[in-house]
Amino acid sequence: MARLLVIDDEANIRLLYAQELGDEGYEVVTAATVNEALQRLDEQSFDLVVLDIKLKSESGLDLLQQIVRERHNLPVILCSAFSCYKDDFSAWLADGYVVKSSNIEELKVEIDKVLGKKTHRG
Amino acid sequence: MDWNCCWTKEQIEPGECPNIRESDDSLRTLLSRRIAEKCFYCDRFRDDLRRLSEVDQPLARLVPQLIEGLRDQKNQIASMAGSLDSRNQEISFLHELAEVLQTTMNLDEVLSVAMTAITAGKGFGMNRAFLLLTDKCQHNLGIGPRNLQEAWETWEEISHHNYSLTEMASQFFNTKLRTEKAKFHDILTRLGTLLLDDGHILSRILHGHRPLMVDGRVRAAEGDDGLSEFLEVDSYLIMPLVCRNRAVGVIVADNYVTHKSITRQDLESLETFGYTVAFAIERASLYDQLQEKIERLVDANEQLLEQQEQIVRMEKLALVGEITSSIAHSIRNPLMTIGGFARSLLRKKTDDDPLREHLQSLVTAAQQLDDVLNEVLTSSDSLYPTRDQWDVNLLVYRVNEELAERLVQRNIAVRLDLPQNLPMAFIDFRQITFCVKTIIINLLDSLPDGSEVTVTTRLMPEGIVLEASATPVPLGHTVSGLGIMVCRNLLEKQEIPFTITTTDQEISFRITVPVERRE
Repeated sequence: MARLLVIDDEANIRLLYAQELGDEGYEVVTAATVNEALQRLDEQSFDLVVLDIKLKSESGLDLLQQIVRERHNLPVILCSAFSCYKDDFSAWLADGYVVKSSNIEELKVEIDKVLGKKTHRG
Repeated sequence: MDWNCCWTKEQIEPGECPNIRESDDSLRTLLSRRIAEKCFYCDRFRDDLRRLSEVDQPLARLVPQLIEGLRDQKNQIASMAGSLDSRNQEISFLHELAEVLQTTMNLDEVLSVAMTAITAGKGFGMNRAFLLLTDKCQHNLGIGPRNLQEAWETWEEISHHNYSLTEMASQFFNTKLRTEKAKFHDILTRLGTLLLDDGHILSRILHGHRPLMVDGRVRAAEGDDGLSEFLEVDSYLIMPLVCRNRAVGVIVADNYVTHKSITRQDLESLETFGYTVAFAIERASLYDQLQEKIERLVDANEQLLEQQEQIVRMEKLALVGEITSSIAHSIRNPLMTIGGFARSLLRKKTDDDPLREHLQSLVTAAQQLDDVLNEVLTSSDSLYPTRDQWDVNLLVYRVNEELAERLVQRNIAVRLDLPQNLPMAFIDFRQITFCVKTIIINLLDSLPDGSEVTVTTRLMPEGIVLEASATPVPLGHTVSGLGIMVCRNLLEKQEIPFTITTTDQEISFRITVPVERRE
């Protein structure tokens, strides 16, 4: 069973992810802040990270860079309410980019795709 | 001794001297003047002198010598007075010329004055002249007759009207400038080419900054590169026009009709004139350059103002984009929660659960809000279209993929008719994708389940036509709505034709995208 780390500052979104992705058979661990996410990443290994870009006052893109630098085999999908970051160079480091919508199917498809590809950087 | 002439008398009577006319009456009482002006030229006085020289007196032989000396002096003074008079006229002419030249900044007008001055009888009186410029050869100019008949006609006209130099120059500038240029086109072209040949006499004189009068003697000594044969004259002069040590042009002048020889004095007079003309030409050229620079500055200033306005506009638009984006963030998160949980719950409800219908409504409403949000954001993005070469068929495949889930849910088939040999289109991929997606969604929303939508692409002379159509026309279908409005707006901004055709059998949306780069 693939283990996913979902990082989002909205509690409802974390809950939704946990429920929906859990139903898909993934083990879902959530984090609300960068520090919390780093702590989870140190505690256990993950197969994929779903990362929001705006985390209150913190930047998901900074965290993305850190993950890519320190755990370059760990795929990351950015899931944001902003579509404009698609054109941002820093966002290109991610393995996927999904714009948040009322339908989580696109995210599920993207997760399947990325995990199916078994992305390896470097 | 009895003298025949009256030179011994202080005063003479009227009629006593045959050389004194009524107008010279005052000379009867002025002895010294009468001797100098009349007696020296009188036969009776010469006879008295001869008789005086026969007297055995040493001084008697000196008197004729003195008189001869006095005559020579008088002739020299007369000659100097003539020369002085001529110089005065020349200075007066140059003064008038300088005044005329200073009143104009137009290069052609300056050249007209200069050339008129060289050829006018009231000026230097040369028959013909050519003026060649080093920088602006399109202004090269010739003046004068091409044959004797034309010369007579011109001179007769001038003598009949008695024009001043200014009038002649003005008339030349207004009525003859172009015709004279055309008349001497062959000679001017040839001379212009010779001027570019560093070794040619014209070029050597131009860069040597010294004028030259070419006659038989000069030709025999130095040669003239066949210029006299080309001009069909024995003598001519070449006058470089030099201003601040820079050669601005050269004048070639001759007496093509009268064949009157050119004198050293002609050359000297023209040399003084050459400086004035050179300065006037340089000033007119600089004025032209100044005008050009001013025009460029004005243009640059206008562009700057436009750009400043554009920057202000873009800043405003960027602010709009920022606000829109912020609103999107605020709406999308709760929307995701509502739609997401509604879908999750719906999936877990059995078909006969009474809550299922309510949850389906929530899912549909959330989906609609999602679509509206995307339309608003795309509209905001349209402020900055980014066009490039894109495969239109790929675009259609992508849209079809994105809508796959909806299509399956509604059991609606999309038939794609996409030829493989299409060229690349020059479009903003994201915006056109949005338009195609919106059009298909618009059709889907009004089609009954199990219908069919056809999407085709084909190359036409005006571009690649992308068409989405449905048969038959969906009941109660309207082509309004925010999505279509946004599409129309996006496409209009990019000058991409967008048409909607409705018949009893079919409704079709047609977009014609350009193949070539279009700015």
